[in-house]
Amino acid sequence: MRRDFLQLDVFADRPGTGNPLAVVLDAQGLDTAAMQAFANWTNLSETTFVLPPTDPSASYRVRIFTPRQELPFAGHPSVGTAHAVLEAGLAKALDGRLVQECAAGLLPLQVEGEGPARRIAVRAPRGRPRTPPPGHEAALDAALAGRSRGALAPALVDNGPQWWVVELADEAQVRTMAPDLAAISALTGGTGAVGLAVFGRAAAGSEHALAVRAFCPADGIPEDPVTGSANAAIAAWLHQNNALAGLGPRFLASQGREVGRDGRVHIHVDADGEAWVGGCTQTVIRGSLDW
Amino acid sequence: MIRSFAQLDVFAAKPGDGNPLAVVLDADGLDDATMQAIAKWTRLPETTFLLPPTTPEASYRLRIFSPRREVPFAGHPSIGSAHAVLEAGLATPRDGLLVQECPVGLLPIEVRGEGRERRLAVRAPKARVLEIGQPDDRRLGAALKGYVPGALPPVLMDGGRRWWLAELVDEASVRSLVPRWDAVSALARGHDAMGLCVFARTPGKDYDLVVRALVGQPGQVEDAASGAANATLAAWLHERGALPHADGRYVVSQGREVGHDARLELRVDAAGDVWSGGMVQTVVRGTLDWPG
Repeated sequence: MRRDFLQLDVFADRPGTGNPLAVVLDAQGLDTAAMQAFANWTNLSETTFVLPPTDPSASYRVRIFTPRQELPFAGHPSVGTAHAVLEAGLAKALDGRLVQECAAGLLPLQVEGEGPARRIAVRAPRGRPRTPPPGHEAALDAALAGRSRGALAPALVDNGPQWWVVELADEAQVRTMAPDLAAISALTGGTGAVGLAVFGRAAAGSEHALAVRAFCPADGIPEDPVTGSANAAIAAWLHQNNALAGLGPRFLASQGREVGRDGRVHIHVDADGEAWVGGCTQTVIRGSLDW
Repeated sequence: MIRSFAQLDVFAAKPGDGNPLAVVLDADGLDDATMQAIAKWTRLPETTFLLPPTTPEASYRLRIFSPRREVPFAGHPSIGSAHAVLEAGLATPRDGLLVQECPVGLLPIEVRGEGRERRLAVRAPKARVLEIGQPDDRRLGAALKGYVPGALPPVLMDGGRRWWLAELVDEASVRSLVPRWDAVSALARGHDAMGLCVFARTPGKDYDLVVRALVGQPGQVEDAASGAANATLAAWLHERGALPHADGRYVVSQGREVGHDARLELRVDAAGDVWSGGMVQTVVRGTLDWPG
């Protein structure tokens, strides 16, 4: 059976700068094992499968797979899948909103603009600080060897996955960081975190407000090119510390240049304190899938 | 610009069993940097770019990129690209052969059968022995936990890329092997090799050998199906008079340990040349929209 297929670049203003995503647009009839096998075969960080919604308030239903497992929710797959659904005309935004049904529940998405400049944002699960296990300070120091830290205290933030969120003194401290992957693995493995997200404020006059990098060596990903959930965790922690001053409720984060990308994540902290992460998506491959 | 694109599964009787490959079917006008960027973005072991041949003997011209660099020749990209050429009607075989132009020269590709049953095989570059090791070689023991050597001694071969080849005592030893990646990488770096390929004979199965190919550099990864490594192994078996069958043909099972189930068909012809091939499944057909 042939199915409609797209491969996208998410958080990208042009192809090759974002985080790729494979989307099977009519996944009805594929069982879980077939979905997992295809997600392993694409070798992308995530592959999604679009299904008819089971809840009348949802625009569509999606299942999200990494090469190894199904995920209840993830940022870049949600933003990319919403783009694919709109491209294929499978659902229409109502008042700029889509509702995604996924294993984590019903999640709203915001759609702004049209065509290549269209931006889609997903509301991330609320980030909450967790108390790290005692003795984590030494592991954190080792993982950040030699970096000058910023004003905000480091935190372990849980928004589905748990991220170590660490502000560095400035953008240059982020860009020039040579990660000690063994030390980062020791930190994240010892504290139940998926990875370490570092960020630094950009100099005045930059188009982006923050430079971000995310390291997940214990998960087999030394550095992730563009990470929705890490950016949402950073935004949540800034908001909870009243540290959005100077950034405003809407700002742009730059991630991925150190791994040959140039991802751009638009972040919005709304009046309720919820963090939305979004950006542009480029449709790179359009075709049919025979699986 | 929008170009024709296919994503294939090579050495596969059904989708998902083999080694994936991306093919850009009309790559004319793409510069090197753009090809490299696309090959990085697909995240597949290799992405190939089809171009018009520059010599009349060739059916098509091919450039092969891994996510990191251009590769002069590789087996699974050659087999998959020939399949894509035939599917798209870009060339037709003459006397059952396509001729692929690539940076290492003109390579013949044999075409047998039609449709889903079609089999393709590429003649591999001649391989030669660089060093024969001892059966109890400590360098291999370090890389292979619980290594029980088989009949042939370990060997370092050069078949375009260099591989260490080591026979293990039986199929179960190969399948249950836990690589020690740092030692595999050390072995690869110490001999400017890709890595270590282990194999065993599998009497009573519908394949003749089980193979696992452990790439130690630049990354640390196990191949789902390795055309060139298997061709090098066939040359070694031929040299030692140890081919499974007198007609020079045999079938390899590879990739189960990494979630695939590839079949490779090897043949050593009367001239001693090795042909490495199998079946290809077209998984994605469509277009690629990439600036440049």
